Amino acid sequence: MSNRRMDKAETDAIRDVLAGDRDAYRVLMDRHFCSVTRVAFRITGNEADAEEATQEAFLRAYNKLPSFRRDSAFSTWIMRIAMNTAINLVERRKRDLSYHAPRIADEPSTADHTVRIADRQAGPEISLLNREAINLRQAAMAELTPMERTAFTLRHMEDVPMTEIAAALNITSNSAKQAVFRAVSKLRRSLTPIAGGLR
Amino acid sequence: MKHFSEEELIAYQLHESQDERTISKHLESCSECADLSESIAETLRVFSADPVPQPDLEHSWQRLRSNLGVLTPERPRGFKLLRWGWAWPATGLATAALMLLTVFGLHVHRTVETRRNIAVNGHGPLTTEPTDPAIANHLDAAERLLTEVNNSSGTLDDATRQQAHNLLLQNAVYVHSARESGDLAQAAVLENFGRVLTTLDNEPPTPHSTWRLRLEMNTSGLLLDIRILRQNDDHAQGVSQ
Repeated sequence: MSNRRMDKAETDAIRDVLAGDRDAYRVLMDRHFCSVTRVAFRITGNEADAEEATQEAFLRAYNKLPSFRRDSAFSTWIMRIAMNTAINLVERRKRDLSYHAPRIADEPSTADHTVRIADRQAGPEISLLNREAINLRQAAMAELTPMERTAFTLRHMEDVPMTEIAAALNITSNSAKQAVFRAVSKLRRSLTPIAGGLR
Repeated sequence: MKHFSEEELIAYQLHESQDERTISKHLESCSECADLSESIAETLRVFSADPVPQPDLEHSWQRLRSNLGVLTPERPRGFKLLRWGWAWPATGLATAALMLLTVFGLHVHRTVETRRNIAVNGHGPLTTEPTDPAIANHLDAAERLLTEVNNSSGTLDDATRQQAHNLLLQNAVYVHSARESGDLAQAAVLENFGRVLTTLDNEPPTPHSTWRLRLEMNTSGLLLDIRILRQNDDHAQGVSQ
């Protein structure tokens, strides 16, 4: 994500889309699809939801394009839409207790909605440790609020500056910082059972 | 000796602290804060970035493309101001015309009101909005079921089949309500969904039936239609610039 101003290709694409050329939107999608998907994946935590959030974000952005203020970068704008869409999706999933997301299990089972994480490089012991680590990390991340998870993953994993996170989430920079700090604190406590956790 | 709080040390580890040099110096002499700081650093290492799956741009574009309507730019404000010059005469004329239309229109014929834009997958965006919270929940459940059908490769489990059965019973009511309210877009999408549900409910659970269902019923296209309908429900929350 960057604050760079839009270049000519993007400006031209937006103009063409607004003139009725739907295919011109492909230019914008080509440029921002990967970054939007990355952010959606960080927030939702799984591939299927990330794909859904990405689709929704691009569709929303398209429908709102006539009201897009071109003094800001399209990248910042689409990222903000993507974050909101992904957060909404996570909140919907949390509200809905009947939603069956895939879970990790030693033996995958369709009936239990479980999958096995493949490890191409390790023997059974390392494989077991990997699975346990993944389970623990997923459980810890699931304890975070969508806002905390978003702020933390974007700051720590995607290296997005705090000011951009704040702008995208429509909160103050200080609130964004507090969300990240709370997330780290919660995650640290969740690691208590293993080495490197709370001491 | 003044110790630093967990929050201050988290800020330090994330390079967000204003007192980085002071904290660094303190950590050299205070084992308690150094332990806490190392624990935070370890947490951040544990939660370092996992690889992100490679998205399929072409597939996503094809799905999105068929749902994009033709756009027109918003008029700049200047045009609005120019219009005010002749706004009063125009308003007078419009009022007179409206009165005439009302008087005659009421007596000539009665039309069935339909809501704007009946485009479904492949013909443009859906813009009608569900207002009933029950339909929003139904769309949410429909979306989840189709996501599951789309993402599963083997036979569907009993819970999913049962869910399909329950949704099938409810779906007919929502199709009827949508038709009654003139929301043809919603009615069309829900009718398609009903066909998928009927097949799901009656298909024998063979290993290839899910695949066949997906291909025959174009469940991914239907899924996008349902997402668009449901997305309209989220408009109240708004995504502002």
